[in-house]
Amino acid sequence: MIPRPRVFVTGLGAICAGAGSVVELRRLLLAPKRSFQPPTVFSTAGASAALPVAQVSGFDVTLPDALPRTHRLALQAAQEALAAGPAPDAIVLGTTTGGILTTEFALQAGSTSPHAYRFHGLHTVAEHLATSLGVRGPVLTISTACSSAAVAISVAAALLRSGHARRVLAGGADSLCRLTFHGFRELQLVAPQGSAPLDAQRAGMTVGEGAGFLLLESAPNRRAIVAEILGTGMSCDAYHATSPHPEGTGAALAMRRALQDAGLDPSAIDYVNLHGTGTVDNDAAEARAIKQVFGSRLPALSSTKGLTGHALAAAGAIEAVVSIIAISDGLLPANTGMQVVDEKLELHPVREPTRAQVDSVLSNSFGFGGNNACLVLGKAPAEQASIEVGTSPPPTDLLPPLRVAGAACLTARGALAETWKALLAGESVAGFVPDAVFSKAAPAAFIRRLKRLPRLMLALAQTALHASGRTSPPDLLATGTAWGPLAETQDFLRKLFETGDQFSSPMDFIGSVHNAPAGQVALLLGAQAPNWTCSSGDRSFEQALLCVSLAMAEGAPSALVMAAEAHQAHLSPLFDPAAATGPLASDGGAALVLLPDDGAPGARVRWLGENGKGEDCGDGAAVALCTQLAARVPLDCYDAVALSVPAAMGADADRELLRLAEVLHPCPVLAYRDRLGQHASVSATATALAARAVLEGALPFGQAPIPLRRKRVLLLLLARHATAVEVFA
Amino acid sequence: MRYRNSPLAFTFPQPPNAVGTTVPEQTDCLVVELARKMVETLGLDTTADLVDPAAPLIGAGLGIDSIDTLELVVMIEKDYGVKIDTRAAGVEAFASLNALAAYIRQRRSASSP
Repeated sequence: MIPRPRVFVTGLGAICAGAGSVVELRRLLLAPKRSFQPPTVFSTAGASAALPVAQVSGFDVTLPDALPRTHRLALQAAQEALAAGPAPDAIVLGTTTGGILTTEFALQAGSTSPHAYRFHGLHTVAEHLATSLGVRGPVLTISTACSSAAVAISVAAALLRSGHARRVLAGGADSLCRLTFHGFRELQLVAPQGSAPLDAQRAGMTVGEGAGFLLLESAPNRRAIVAEILGTGMSCDAYHATSPHPEGTGAALAMRRALQDAGLDPSAIDYVNLHGTGTVDNDAAEARAIKQVFGSRLPALSSTKGLTGHALAAAGAIEAVVSIIAISDGLLPANTGMQVVDEKLELHPVREPTRAQVDSVLSNSFGFGGNNACLVLGKAPAEQASIEVGTSPPPTDLLPPLRVAGAACLTARGALAETWKALLAGESVAGFVPDAVFSKAAPAAFIRRLKRLPRLMLALAQTALHASGRTSPPDLLATGTAWGPLAETQDFLRKLFETGDQFSSPMDFIGSVHNAPAGQVALLLGAQAPNWTCSSGDRSFEQALLCVSLAMAEGAPSALVMAAEAHQAHLSPLFDPAAATGPLASDGGAALVLLPDDGAPGARVRWLGENGKGEDCGDGAAVALCTQLAARVPLDCYDAVALSVPAAMGADADRELLRLAEVLHPCPVLAYRDRLGQHASVSATATALAARAVLEGALPFGQAPIPLRRKRVLLLLLARHATAVEVFA
Repeated sequence: MRYRNSPLAFTFPQPPNAVGTTVPEQTDCLVVELARKMVETLGLDTTADLVDPAAPLIGAGLGIDSIDTLELVVMIEKDYGVKIDTRAAGVEAFASLNALAAYIRQRRSASSP
């Protein structure tokens, strides 16, 4: 058996409260001194003004037109990790806040100019890095709340093993903002005196910020290696929107999966960097999970969040850097902030920085929505050890096609059948999904607190699973959404601003997290599977499909992949030009149940590629991608190219469309957003419809259906980062 | 618990405010107001007049959980200026709608000059 390609860490970057670089973080771990203080990046009022946060110093510019804080934090840590080396092939970044701090100021000032919100989207953080660093390959954005960065590192490792990249920059970034500060405060999860993980008197977390990155390589120069990613494991509690499972079941599952992935026995772990937020429930659940996995022989363990604060989506990456420092320096980091250990937890955390040999570390990250991700990191191979370099498959290999076992979509016309019928009749299906179509997706008591996006997602998931005839929950769940739950975000901020930053709604905060809808889907289906939410603008669906394809290439037996947007009257037109296209403005989405290509009849879907626009070539990203694909896939095998042209492309689209028609000639190119509607997840809808079209032999995306003789359709996204997906039968 | 949104309510319909039903003769305005706000804020699948003011709010037929109580905590501080910020206070305040009204009254009179 060919050994699995290995994933090495060759660069590190970190920034968090008290440390502006990896060198400073190393110093901070040796002499722990925390720097929690009330926030100064935004104003506070009333009792909340005294609450400490873990704020990074030296990033205090809040000029209205400046790049958002998250973007600047991310770039600094990314540049540190790259250390002036060549650009990576790909970026996988976890974030939950994106540019929301800037958005909050703009909304409060009443700005109605979309220009003020151009960096709102979560995807703009990674895209800013890609532009600054010259990255041309896939640029992925993962948003699974506090486990985002750990999930991003896990996806990056899979991307390297697939051979689709050789050098990947992976990590996370989040900045302080009013949404998270007041949200966690109203959930009564913020410690008035600062986080004291595992303390008998612990009273909550300290909201923080920062960025962390690992440069990961599959075949690096041996001398560059600082550590190795031995394994990763993910799970979903499928228990509650915010509370961890009291027995730590989901957390234990993720730890076991990571150890199994690494091929290690629990006894091989020398140190565990805990999620350890300092909230009563998290620490209790994590302690139970640790005991389930490790039994009575516990490794050294500590939480470093009492030192760095909880940097949310960046935490998993900052703590991966901490774990690697533990290995390279032989240092067990202290459980800073704890005075009296909570005996009931039966853990014995490291109290002072301690010298010890550390070969393998388990790093835990758990998030809202029950999203858990664990990493196993190991020391760099010894000088004399031989490394199987070049075991990664050649980059020309395509990811495997997946069989569509069930599909669902929601448009202004209704579900898939109604949408198909309208399209066959040459009608448009643009517009907003009528409430009645999806509001009965789940029992009234289950959805009473849920707004538009989670309800759309629940309906899509239920319908697609029903169509597949499967009753068991999927083994993977990947969700795409560019803008996330906007009604919840809008309601939370509106209430907050109306009360002078005093009161809002804990329920809306929980609901506003981008992965909240996916958490609800997992809850409804009882799916403890790895659960990704990709938030990558117009290619969110394609990236969800990529995550699933990577995992299925490594043997995962089934998946549910979906993407949806929910229009919000105030915010959508500010964020996405698609929502300001009059009658074309739309929402909705689609879901697919995918199985390995087992030869059974049905449509197939395959992720083909993602490509950013090169700085030095005149062609747009989509043309460049097609040129690149032509070397591997004969482009004349397609009956038609279904093209997504986001409104955001504006006039840039016209020139590229002409070039694209030349490159793809004589294959007909159908720009389907004119018919299916303008929204960021419409490519999911197009894919679900194409899966039907290849079986029916006609693609109804234009005035008259195009016959599909070869039963093959190429779906392209025309954007600064173009994507390609094929559907065939 | 006595939860009036039961099949019996349909078998033997009674006007909710009629004298002689479970609603006390002297209706407590604060309780009525809290019931309305609670149903509205939490999107409960019932109506305010069907909530039994003496029944426990949490872990019973209303389906109220920890997130709902936090939502109520914020609403009560915002609308009545009364904090519920410890576990013990929560147990006391959310024992029932009557208890919540009493809790609010007591803290308001204690804090007024």
